[in-house]
Amino acid sequence: MPGARRIRFGLNGHPVEVTAPPERILLDLLRDDLRLTGSKRGCDLGTCGCCTVLVDGRPTLSCLTLVHLVEGREVMTIEGIASPHELHPVQRAFVEHGATQCGFCTPGFILSAVALLRENPQPTRAQIVRAISGNLCRCTGYTKIVEAIEAASRAGGAG
Amino acid sequence: MHLDPFELHRPATVEETVALARELAGRFDYLAGGTDLLANYKMHLNAKPHLIALDRLAPLRERRLDRIGAMVRLAELERDGAIRSAYPALAEAVDQVATPLVRASATVGGNLLVDTRCFFFNQSYFWRASLGFCLKADGDRCHVVPQKERCYATFSGDLAPALLVLDAEVEIVGPDGRRRIPLASLYDEGGDGIRRHRLAPGEFLAAVTLPEAARRRSSTYAKLRVRPSFDFPELGVAVACRWAGDRLEHLAVATGGLETYPRRWDDVTAPFVGRRASSELFREVGAAIRPRVRPVHNTFLPPDYRKQMTELFVRRALERLAPTSGAAG
Repeated sequence: MPGARRIRFGLNGHPVEVTAPPERILLDLLRDDLRLTGSKRGCDLGTCGCCTVLVDGRPTLSCLTLVHLVEGREVMTIEGIASPHELHPVQRAFVEHGATQCGFCTPGFILSAVALLRENPQPTRAQIVRAISGNLCRCTGYTKIVEAIEAASRAGGAG
Repeated sequence: MHLDPFELHRPATVEETVALARELAGRFDYLAGGTDLLANYKMHLNAKPHLIALDRLAPLRERRLDRIGAMVRLAELERDGAIRSAYPALAEAVDQVATPLVRASATVGGNLLVDTRCFFFNQSYFWRASLGFCLKADGDRCHVVPQKERCYATFSGDLAPALLVLDAEVEIVGPDGRRRIPLASLYDEGGDGIRRHRLAPGEFLAAVTLPEAARRRSSTYAKLRVRPSFDFPELGVAVACRWAGDRLEHLAVATGGLETYPRRWDDVTAPFVGRRASSELFREVGAAIRPRVRPVHNTFLPPDYRKQMTELFVRRALERLAPTSGAAG
C-alpha cells in the first residue's frame, strides 16, 4: 500500500496499532480490518449517522474520517461502551423501550445519545430530537428511541 | 465506496503549509473538516492526488467575539453563548447546517468555501457517465443550461449570507503573504460554479473577522429545504437591520442557495433606508429582491418556487426583526 504508515490510537480503551494508507477511512478499518462490525455502513456519505463513533468523546461520522487523522486519539465504538457483564444504561433503555426495530441504525443512535447525555444529563425532549437529527431510522421508530433516551436520562445514564 | 489513493500532508505551521502549497501547486486540495470534500472524493468528483490537512494549525482554531478561526468547528460556534447572542443570524445559520454529526467536524472556513452543488454534479460516477459527464467534472457541457461555456452549480453554504449581512471580512494566507478582504470580495461575481471564489492558487482562509457595529444590529437567517435536517439550502436569506424608534437606519439582505455565489443586495435595499416600519415596507423589500434573483433548475425545488419563497422569506425576516412598538400596519 503506497504511503501506508503505522498509526497508533486508543480503541475502546485499549491501545491499537494499525498499518493504513492515507486514504483509509476509519469505518472501513473498523469493520473490514478489525472486524468491529457494530458501526454500520449506511449511506457512506455522512447523511445517515449509522457509522457514528466517539472520537475523544465527540460523536464523529467514521465514514468521513481518515484513519491518519485519529492518530493519538481515543476512539469508542458501540462494542466498547458496555462493561463486560452489563449493558450501558442507554443500551438497556433501548432494549426496555423496544427502541430497535431492524437494529441497523441502533449503534449510531446509542452513541449520539451517550454523547448527548454526557454533555447534558437532563435534556429536554426537543434537545433529544435535535441531538439525534443526524441519525436516520428507516423503520421510522423515532418515538420509542426518544422515549428510551428520556428514560436513560432519568436513570442517570450518561455512563 | 472507496477513495482513490492520495498523499496526506499535515503541516504544523502556516509557513510549512504555504511551502507545501507552492510545491504541490494545482495538484492538491486543502482538507478542513472533510464532511463535504471526502464525500465528493468518494463520488470521484475532482479528486486530487494530494491533500493538505489544516488540522494542526492551532491559530486557525482560535475563537474570539471579533475573530473566528477558519478551523473552528460549527459545533463549537453552536455552543458559544457570547457569539450566539452577538450575531443571531450567524447562530441561526450554524444551527441549520446539515446535522449535529456533520457540525461536529465541519468548519467555518469549510462552509464558506463549500463546493457548489448541482443535480447533475452530485451523483455517482456511474450516473454521471451515463450522461457523458458535465462541465464541472470530467465533461464539456452543462445539462442545466445546455452550452459549453458556463457552469451553473449553486452556492450551498449557510454561513456566507449571515456573515455578509454582518459585514464580515476574511483573513487569507498564501504564498504571497497575508491579506484581509470583505467577505463579499471572496466570491467571484464574474465566475461560475467552477471558478467560484477569488482565492489565488495556494491561498487558504485563516479567519473571519466581525466589526463591532455588527453586534448592534438585529439579524436573522432563514433556510428553505425539503427536510429539516441534513439538506443543503434551496434558498438561504439573511437580514440585518438597525432601527431608530420605528425608523429603519440600516438594512442589509443577502441570499444563498440560488446562484453560483452568495449575494448581498445593497443596491435594492438602499432606497428603503429611512422608511418607517410597516407591513407595507416589509412586503416592498421582498418584492424588490424577488425579480433580481436568478435560480436555475439544478436543485430539488423549481426555480419559480425558490423565487417566490425569496420574497416571502425576506418579508418574514423583516417582520421578525421589526421594532417591538410602532411596527403595526
